[in-house]
Order: sequence, then C-alpha cells, then structure tokens
Amino acid sequence: MQSKTSFFNGTLFRKNLARFWPLWGLASFLAALFPLALLVKVLRDGTYLALPGDPAAPELTRIYYSVVGDAGPVLFLIYGALCALAVWSYLYSPRSVGLLHTLPIRREGLFLTSFLSGLAMVLLPCAVAGVLSVLTSLAAGAFDPVGLGVTVLAVLGQAFFFFASATFVCFITGNAFAMAPVYFLLHFLAVILDWLVSAFARGFIFGFDDYSTGAVEWLSPAVYLQNHLGVISHQEEVERVTAYGERYTDRVLVSVEPENFHLIALYALAGLALTALAVLLYRRRRSESAGDVVAVGALKPVFRYGLAALAALLGGQFLYSLFWGSFQSGRYFDVLPLAVSMALAGIIGYYAASMLLAKSLRVFRGSWRGILAVALGCAAVCCGMKFDLLGVADRVPAALEVRELYVSAAGNSYTLTPEADGALLEQVRAVHQAVIADEAYILSMDAMTTLPAGMEETDLTWESISLTYYLKDGGKVSRWYRVPVTRDRLARAGTYDNLLDRFVNSDAVKARRLHLDDSFWTVTGGSLYVNVQNESYDLGSREAEAVLAAIGRDLANGDWGTYDWFRVSNGGDYAMDLGLEFDGPDGEGHDYISISLTPAMGETVAALRQLGLVTDVDLVTYRELEPEDYAWEAEPTDAGPQEAVPTTAVEVLPDGGAVQSRTAGEVSPA
Amino acid sequence: MIEVNGLVKRFDGFAALDGAALTVPAGSVYGLVGPNGAGKSTLIRCLTGIFRQDGGTVRVGGEDVWENPALKARIASIPDDWYYFTQSSIRDMMRFYRGFYPSFSMERYEKLREVFQLDERRPIRRLSKGMQKQAAFWLALSCMPDYLVLDEPVDGLDPVMRRQVWSLVLGDVAQRGTTVLVSSHNLRELEDVCDHVGIMDHGKVLLERSLAQLQDNMVKLQVVFPDGMTEVPPELPVLHASRIGRIHTLIMRMGAQEAADLLAPYSPLLVDAVPLTLEEIFIYELGGADYAVKDIVL
Repeated sequence: MQSKTSFFNGTLFRKNLARFWPLWGLASFLAALFPLALLVKVLRDGTYLALPGDPAAPELTRIYYSVVGDAGPVLFLIYGALCALAVWSYLYSPRSVGLLHTLPIRREGLFLTSFLSGLAMVLLPCAVAGVLSVLTSLAAGAFDPVGLGVTVLAVLGQAFFFFASATFVCFITGNAFAMAPVYFLLHFLAVILDWLVSAFARGFIFGFDDYSTGAVEWLSPAVYLQNHLGVISHQEEVERVTAYGERYTDRVLVSVEPENFHLIALYALAGLALTALAVLLYRRRRSESAGDVVAVGALKPVFRYGLAALAALLGGQFLYSLFWGSFQSGRYFDVLPLAVSMALAGIIGYYAASMLLAKSLRVFRGSWRGILAVALGCAAVCCGMKFDLLGVADRVPAALEVRELYVSAAGNSYTLTPEADGALLEQVRAVHQAVIADEAYILSMDAMTTLPAGMEETDLTWESISLTYYLKDGGKVSRWYRVPVTRDRLARAGTYDNLLDRFVNSDAVKARRLHLDDSFWTVTGGSLYVNVQNESYDLGSREAEAVLAAIGRDLANGDWGTYDWFRVSNGGDYAMDLGLEFDGPDGEGHDYISISLTPAMGETVAALRQLGLVTDVDLVTYRELEPEDYAWEAEPTDAGPQEAVPTTAVEVLPDGGAVQSRTAGEVSPA
Repeated sequence: MIEVNGLVKRFDGFAALDGAALTVPAGSVYGLVGPNGAGKSTLIRCLTGIFRQDGGTVRVGGEDVWENPALKARIASIPDDWYYFTQSSIRDMMRFYRGFYPSFSMERYEKLREVFQLDERRPIRRLSKGMQKQAAFWLALSCMPDYLVLDEPVDGLDPVMRRQVWSLVLGDVAQRGTTVLVSSHNLRELEDVCDHVGIMDHGKVLLERSLAQLQDNMVKLQVVFPDGMTEVPPELPVLHASRIGRIHTLIMRMGAQEAADLLAPYSPLLVDAVPLTLEEIFIYELGGADYAVKDIVL
C-alpha cells in the first residue's frame, strides 16, 4: 500500500516528462547548438581563441558568466513559464483536474511531483548545454572548476526562481490564456508602473524629472538581473609581434569574476517563498476555479481595481494627450480634463476586468459602486498630485542625506560630494530652494506669450537646471527646471538668478571646468581646428598640458571662465575650435571639453603661438571671417515689446561615464 | 457505506448542493436520479474528492474523503466526461492508474481485455465515444475498488456492451461487496440494476428508499367506474389521472390495498393495480416538487 503521507509519485513525474518531451527536447536541441559549435571548433583548431597560447580558461568562464547574466534572465523568463504552463495545465480544465484530483495522492504530493518534473524540464536543456561546455573545456585544456561551479549554481538559481514565479502565477490564475499575460505583466509591472507614475508625476509636479525612478526595478527580476549581472574582467598587457616583425602591446584576459551574482541567490530565496505560497494556494484552491481568469477569490478585487488603475494611468494619459494635449497651457496637466480622461479609462479597465472575471459581457448591473470608486479614486489622485499633498515638489534633500549631487547648468555639468564640495553643494541647494520658492513666478513667465512691460528681449534668457541627488540611503531625487533669467533679478541678491550666477561664475566652479587641481583627471590630448586654414591638429599630451596651463593662467587673470547669461553671438570669438581630452585612472572615464578662444585670452593665444599651432593670420574672429553671418548684430532692434524667444543652454558634454567630477563647456569671456 | 449529510456546495453564491443527504448501504447499488441541474454531478465530485464542500460531511467507510489518499485508493470513479492524456493509449493510462492505485490488478486487466476487445495501443482519442467509455470501465474495474462512483456510465455504449458492463459491475457487487453509486437519467436501466434509489432536485435529496419501498409507496390503478360516473371523484388523493375510453388510470401515493379501499365506496366495475416503473415514480414524485411534464402546444 502506498503511504498516506506520500508526497511524490514517480508515475506522475515520468508521465509529465513523457507528455511534454517535445518542449524540453526542442529546448535541449537549441541549447546544445552553441556549445556544440564551439566544441567542433575546438576539436578542429585545438582552441576557440583567435590567438592560440593565451589563457583559455578565463575566456571560457567569461562566456559562461556572460550567458548567465545576459541571456539567462530572458531565456528562463520565457522557458520557465512554458514549463510551468505545461505541468500545471491540468488545473485549467475541469476534466483534467477531475482526473488528477480523484487520484489517491494529497495535493501536496501532486504539487511536489509536478513541480519537480517541471523544474527537471527547465534544467534538462541546461544540463545538455553544460555537459557539452565541459567537454569543450576539457578538449581545449581550459577546464575551470570554479567558473563552472559558479555557473551551475547561477543557472540553478535562475531556473528555480523563474519556474517558481511562473508556478505561483499558475496558481493564482485558472486559465492558460490568463496565465501568460498575468505572468509577464507581473514580471514587468514594477518597471511599467514606475514609468507610468513618473510620466504622471512629471505632468503635475514642478521640476519632477524622472522617467523612471528605478526604485522598484528589483520587483521586475528579469530587467533587474539583466541590468545588474555582469562580468568583471582582469587583463594584463602583453608584448606581441606581428607577422611583419613589428612589436605591439596587447591586453589579454587573465581572470574574470562574476558581478552581482549574489542577486541570483536572493531571487532564488524569493522563489522558495513563492513556492511555499503556491503550495498554500493549492491547498485552498477550488477545483471548480478551472477556467476562471483569477483562481483565488481574494485576488479578484485586486485584479479588478488593479486593472482599472493601470488603465486609468495608461489610458487616461493617452486619452488626455489625444483630446486635450493641444489645449494644454504650460508644461503641466490641466486637472479636470485629465481626471475625466483617467476616470473614463479606469472605468473601461474596471469593466474589462469584471467581464474577464465573470466570463460574461453582462456585468453592467451592480457595478455602479465599483465605477464610483474608480471615478472618485481618479479624481482624488489628480487632486492629490495637483496640490502635491506629499510635498514632492518642495523637497530639497538635506546636505547630510546626500551622497552625490549631479548638477547641470549653463551648459556645464558637475558632480559634487558633501565631503569634497560641501560649500558648492550648499550653493546648489540654495539655488534649488530659491527656484522652488519662485515656482509661481516661473510658471507665470512660462505661460506668457509676450515679454513683460518694460523688458527688452536682451534682458531675458531661459536656462535649464538639472539636479540629481543620489542619497546615502540609495534613493534618488531628480529635478529639471527651465527658468527665466533676467538682468534685473540677476543683480538682485537672493533670487535664484543671482544665486545661480554666483555658483556658475565662482572661481571654484570655473576651475572645475578645467579639472584644475583635480587628481582624478589627466589631460591626455586634444585638437585644434583653425577655420582660416581649414586645418585640424591633434594635440599630444604635452601640448595639451601646455595649453591647459595657459588657460589656467587666463582664468587666474580673469580673462576666461565667466559665463555670460545673455550672450547671443560668438562673433567676437576667434574662428577656431579648441578641445582638450581627459582620462581617468585605469581607463575609468573619459572627458572632453571645448574652449572658445577670445582675444582676451592672451596666455592661451601665446601658448598656441609658441607651439606653432597658430600665427597672426589665424587670429581672426568669426565676425571678421564671415561678416555676412553677423550682419544682424548691427541691425537696430524694435524698441516695443517683443516675443520672448527662449533659448536653452546646450549641454556639450559627452557622457564620459566617469565617477569623478566632470566638466565641460563652451565658455565665453567676461 | 457512503454517508452524505447536510452537504452544501456553492458556486459564486449559487447553492448547487443545499443540504443534500444520502446513505448508500455497503454492497448496494444506489441509483441517484434527478432532473438536469439537480446537483448529482456536484455531489459525485464532492464524493470523489474533486470538490471541497462548503458545509456538511462526506464520509465513505466512516472516513472523510477530502485529502484522504488511503480512502481514495479504494474509490474508482468514471465521470460522464472521462479525461485521458491526449497522446495516451489505454496501455499508457493503465500504467498511470497502476502507479496510483495500489490495488490495481494486472490479472483483472488481462482478463478484461477479452471482454472489451479494444486495441490498447491505439491513442484513446482515436477511439469512438463508446469505446472510450469501455476503456474507462476497463481501467476502473482493474483498480479493484471497494467503492465505484459512476456518472452517466453507459452513455454511448451499445445495448450488448451495456449488459456486459452492468454484468461486470454487479458481479463485483456480488463477489467483492463493492458499493456502487450511479447517477443516470436512464431510469429503465437503473430499475434493473439498483436496489436503492435517491431522487435529487434543487441541490437536495428529496427521497431515498429501496426500490421495493419506493414501488410500495405509490400505486398505479386502472379503474372502470359504474355507468354515469365519467369523472374521477375530486375527493380522491390522486397524483395523476388519465382516461382512455372508460378506463381511468390513477396514480396515488399509497399502497395498493389502501387505494382499493378508498375506491370501494364508488363501486368500481374494475380495479386493477399495475406496477409502477421507476420513470413513473420519478415523474410523479418530482411532479409534487413542481417539476412535471407540461402540456404545452406549440
């Protein structure tokens, strides 16, 4: 007799594998293709490396880790769902659930047996690929047991997590057509919601600038793992000789280590929790839920209102932009049309969810409470956002909270830390606070179509300020403001215009633009393009150093570095483009800054002359070189009120990916 | 013995079973009859451990069925829509059943092969509906169950195979004391095999008795009244009356002698008691529960 407490049935295990062999058979075939191709190459060439003789084991391990980090999350996300759908498909039909549930085995026994058979189906293709990979390593004489062990554990962890999560979804749904959408929706829900809520917040909250906060990305495991798993490669320089006898330096991979692979273990633990939850759900699951969209009664309201909320956020913004976008005044949403759009979309979502749950189109009766709740919810959310009940717009992180502050203003960007740049950071915080305090003024200026009375066109400019606070608790506060800067306010202490000017044109910030006294960056070269000659020169590191030093002297003399907020023409600059390149230590970042040369920069011009890069003939301004392009400067301006032409400072800094402070800019003379 | 007491099962608020109660004596064949939607299949699914009841008890052999593998190993059931794995043959399904039912008898399986004469290697989906039903019986009987629960079991079987199947089932009842619960609309057939009958309607078992008791409790009389008396006296407790010529056919809920005594004062020329079929009992019992054949002219 079988034991009453039997939790595993070999017959069912074998039956599952036998029934679904086309699934895992095809997957095994596909999984075998790449290692098999590699094995064939190794057997033919004796190695899989382009250059025989280099250490092969690290390269092979790097391939393992890359597959685990890059392809693993996506493949297991899809294949795990297919295997789960296969083994739990019996739950979705009253006939099959009838057979399985009359069998003399407890629900726990059915669960464990089916779970293990599904997991085996997930792992079989991995085993095939793994065996072939080991054979390849052995054939190449590059067997790395540690790398292989880590890979096996990582594969097991990912396979378990994704299969467990798919299993969990199988138990909250009662229908194969519902399982797949719900599974993928849940896996991407966090990032979708983050994006939707951020888009929603951007339309309401002054200065809010996040396209996605990333705070909940970990709830979308496939995305999170793909973004965070990686390989750290360690390379060494080696001397090589070409076929022509020329010697050159190359870098070879000597060792690799997995990056953030501990995350897989954490997700595997989460998978364990989801599995336990699925067992509990199975014990309570009603066989008659086969065919339902949602199999757990308690989750039905969650599904109904969740879908309504998602529809309200997504569909509401879509309907708003479709029907009201062209009527919107200013940068921010008009509350009433948005609330109406959201309520409409939310009600549609609510009805759709109700229809799916009831498996009927006749759900209108008795739904008025739900409709009312959705409509009121949309109105409440819109009002809450409009009046910023959470105080998001007013938040300026305290200096003690900040780990790093990224500032972009006046065409330059800076990274400040409280330890090294406490005073500058405080200055930026003061600018931020002043901008928030002047929200009404900024919005009113933004909404104006003509200049205020008494203001000339040349008295006003528009600047962008981007602030990103990286907080010590791992959080991030990101803001972007487009603010008017006027001559009048610039001269008035305490205004954001004035505070911003004091920051941007402070000696410390000017020096930062050149990376002066910054041990992180080393000037490695540059370029000079002279318009008169139509020639371009590459600067060597010594030439670049000399030029940089000369610019530094000009800065000290007050001949370079002051940002002119109202500059409208570069006609007074010399007709040449000077750029300097900087590298961080060990290739950790790259930066490029461009310098506008002006006649006032005597030291720099002298240095260029000394280096033989320019002569008197080359020292011609743009206005002198191309007078027709600057003829407009001489034309009289209309004294009456003019239409404001906002100009936005263009950030010229290429993303160097540096950790340390980076500056760049096209800076006009004082 | 199968005992069901106060069984309640609701689907989205609708009570498919509303306090159903029945008792199937050990070693008996119990016919469960009732109109469509009465709750027969739901009761059977509770009885086989598919559905978990919302109220009441379902006990087989004195034990609760729900999540009781040892007990379920002694119960075989054939639902009206028997499930098999799509690619499977009878032989595959035999291996599957054998892996779950410890009492599965290969000897019985081999013997039944001669009875059913089906190609056991052919995919079941390629078999006709009747052959699939035979396959279900083949496997269920090979499990050597102490309790056999059948839902519309002989639908699709030809008359010869019906007799064959019932013969096998009744043989098990006689030889092994198997307890059988069978739900069917084929009342003529149930009449031949059942010794107990329960009638269900609206989620309740309206009555359950042995077939003999049921037949004793209701009488069908053919009566000829004296000249001049064309109608049945209204004071008589008649469930149903019909007339062909001078012969009145009366259905009355009482014994034959009691009915004859009631008619005696009217000096009938002829009183003849005719046995009631199960179908007639079913129709007239449910007629009292507002479920009768309606004379509707379309």
